[in-house]
Amino acid sequence: MKAILALILLLPLCGALFQALLGRAASRRPAEIAACAAIAGSFVCALAAFILGWEQSFTLEFFRWIAVDNFVIAADVFFNPLSSLMALMVTFVSGLIHVYSVGYMREDPDYSRYFCYLNLFVFSMLVIAFADNVVFLFVGWEGVGFCSYALIGFWYSDEEKASAGKKAFLLTRIGDVGFGVAIGLFFVQFSSTSITVINANAGQLTAAMATAMGLLLLWSAVGKSAQLPLTVWLPDAMAGPTPVSALIHAATMVTAGVYLLMRLYPVVALSPDAMTAVAAVGVVTALYAALSALGQRDIKKVLAYSTISQLGYMFLALGAGDISGSMGFLLSHAFYKSLLFLCAGCVIQALHEQGDIYAMGGLRRFMPGVFWLFLAGAVSLAALPPFGGFLNKDRVLAAVFGNPDPVFRVFFIGALAATFLTSLYAFRLFFCVFLRPQAETVHDVRPVPGIMTGPLWPLALLALSAGFLNFAPEWGGGAWLPRFLETVQGSVAHIGIPRESERMIAAVDALLALTAVLLAFVLYGPVRLFGVRGPDARQPARGGLFSALYLDSFYRSFIARPFEVLANILWHVADEKGVDRGIIRSAEIFPNLAAGIRFWTTGKLSTYLGMLFLGFVALLVGLTVTFYLGL
Amino acid sequence: MIATMNEVLILSGLVFILGAVCAAARRNLIMILVGVEIMLNAAGIALVGASLRWAVLDGQVFVIFIMAFAAAEVSVGLALIVFSQRRTKSVNADSFSLLRG
Amino acid sequence: MTALRMVFYLLAILIVASTAMAITRKNLVHAVLYLVQSFFATAALFYLLGAPVLAALEIIIYAGAIMVLFLFIIMTLIGGYTGSRNHRQWIFPSLLGLASIVSAGVLLFSSPASETGLIAATASPASFGRYLFDKYWLPIEIVSLLLFVALVGALYLGTHKGKSVAQIEVEQ
Repeated sequence: MKAILALILLLPLCGALFQALLGRAASRRPAEIAACAAIAGSFVCALAAFILGWEQSFTLEFFRWIAVDNFVIAADVFFNPLSSLMALMVTFVSGLIHVYSVGYMREDPDYSRYFCYLNLFVFSMLVIAFADNVVFLFVGWEGVGFCSYALIGFWYSDEEKASAGKKAFLLTRIGDVGFGVAIGLFFVQFSSTSITVINANAGQLTAAMATAMGLLLLWSAVGKSAQLPLTVWLPDAMAGPTPVSALIHAATMVTAGVYLLMRLYPVVALSPDAMTAVAAVGVVTALYAALSALGQRDIKKVLAYSTISQLGYMFLALGAGDISGSMGFLLSHAFYKSLLFLCAGCVIQALHEQGDIYAMGGLRRFMPGVFWLFLAGAVSLAALPPFGGFLNKDRVLAAVFGNPDPVFRVFFIGALAATFLTSLYAFRLFFCVFLRPQAETVHDVRPVPGIMTGPLWPLALLALSAGFLNFAPEWGGGAWLPRFLETVQGSVAHIGIPRESERMIAAVDALLALTAVLLAFVLYGPVRLFGVRGPDARQPARGGLFSALYLDSFYRSFIARPFEVLANILWHVADEKGVDRGIIRSAEIFPNLAAGIRFWTTGKLSTYLGMLFLGFVALLVGLTVTFYLGL
Repeated sequence: MIATMNEVLILSGLVFILGAVCAAARRNLIMILVGVEIMLNAAGIALVGASLRWAVLDGQVFVIFIMAFAAAEVSVGLALIVFSQRRTKSVNADSFSLLRG
Repeated sequence: MTALRMVFYLLAILIVASTAMAITRKNLVHAVLYLVQSFFATAALFYLLGAPVLAALEIIIYAGAIMVLFLFIIMTLIGGYTGSRNHRQWIFPSLLGLASIVSAGVLLFSSPASETGLIAATASPASFGRYLFDKYWLPIEIVSLLLFVALVGALYLGTHKGKSVAQIEVEQ
């Protein structure tokens, strides 16, 4: 078991090392095969671990990383159903995306750097999934942050893309500060940074301390998962290659925040206030991002806002106290969102890097395979019954409804509204891209290689079916996932709400989603109904929804701009006039001093002889003085 | 008794200091060399006195060595003076100032 | 006060006085002649202190060879003329000399063994020579090597013309 777990982690790392050291020397094909093989091997090991470690929880020590007095950081693996499931998902999705990348990056000369970062990312993500020690987890946490930065700015020669990478890096740092403080608090409170120890002793915390820790963890999760108020980096992160957006900014890294909260759920769950905060952040973000997604015109930006919104659902589920609901949502979201992104990548490449959905349309004719795949993703995203997304969303909504806290009723209504919006933008996207009358800008569609569409089919299958893992017994399902996760601390198998309410929720949910699809059909559909004119590519891109409710410009003018002004003042006044001038002036002292001493070196023999004599006399006088002082 | 050891040392010290003052004060290369000779001679006086004081001949032996060094030093030193006089037409030590910083 | 002591004092005064005269002379020939006088007195002092061989050598080497060499150089090169004397250049060295006299004197007089008297004794040339070549034969050989090197160096400097300062400055 130990060897298997070690292999899961080490294979991607070795892959990254291989790419870094030999990738340039190796030609394209071996490098691609090595990258994919590393992840595939990791997936096989993860599968083996999943089966062998069925419903078990244990900690395996690999090596002691830092040991100072009682401050011990061990690179341990904490294996439980949650982490094994997460690892399985990460290796599976990233394996498929690696294969897809081979096709997507087929013309890029920098393939070895790309695969190096991608493999390194998978390693870091797996560290997050398995790490027992929060400091070790933090290594993975920063590792994925770095890979995200490096891959967003992958085409670094483009100024805009490079700065998008920087933006993502800096904004996620804000969250990491919270994590750093939380790690410190953990050590102070528990004298240990091991998750198992923390979770076992969480009950000793005072209420205030538990709230503080919960909020700090929420803060760090918010940064990583691009929740409000730190959402703004994720839409910009779409500057990276599309497979990267699918892997990092949809399926895995952004879910790390949610995963962290699940991992440390016993701590977060101690404080009702923190739980409410988590849920509130989730629902507000879900609504905000869904609204923003409606206004976007870039296909990837729509999906980015959609990701933010769906992550909001995960936070909401977690805040409502339902780990398995959140985890189920995370899994199926990983499948359908990466599916959607990969489809979007196919579309964008087929249309020669055209991302504006209003300039698309009628693509069904050109790429029927991608059409059906995208439909599967959209259906899952929109949570149309009876597919996977629906069942998961139903579970989340039921969990929110079942929470006794009255404020969760408000959250419930917000979540329902977000459901409606989700369905609306999902099908807006779908109709605009594939079914609307073909825009005149669409011509010369490039064929998409089979290696890019091939990996999408298993994703589509899983996207449609993953929800059945959460199939509630009320509907004759096995509730397989909740039972699997039962051993995880704090997990609830059944949500204790009446069967009637449960059915009512499902019905309302389904109705809302379907209504939204109809509305999307009217607004953006293939035929003109009720005299509604569809949008046009020539329309100027602006408006509140397009600008994501002006959040980014708000940050720009109220945080970035004053900061810039302050920095300029510090630069021009404090640094140039103060520090620099001070240094220059003090440096000028030395030539003057030296000029004062220079007269010693007259170059004349007599001076030197005089000095020699002086030295001799000084010795003699010194001898006399010390003699008389009795020294 | 010829003298006390102290008196010999005082004599030797005085001569030595006179030589040092000469070397430091005079600007003429020859006089500087003369000052060095005086200093060496003063050391010889002290050594001979000490040889008598302890009745050991080593002190006198060292005077022999000093004389040899002085002879070597003077011959090379004077050759240098001649050499530099040819170049600068001067035996003034201050006219050699290539080392000035 | 014994006669020998009287002689010592006379010689000491003669040495110091003639040395002082030698170092202050403006004319180099005069200076060298005063120095010769000082060396003669030193030779007498060496004889007094029981070192007849050294006394002879002092006269032969110092007063004879070295000083004659000085005189040769002075006569051939500059003819004894040294130019105007600058009194200020004496101030600093004299102060240093005074300071060293004071401190050395203080140290000497504070030594408890300072009043040890020197009893007259003589190292005969024969015993001195035997002692020298018994015990110090190797240093003597090394010193002779040194003299040889000095001879070569002096020859080289004397035959080599060298560059003028003007030439050096041009090269720089």
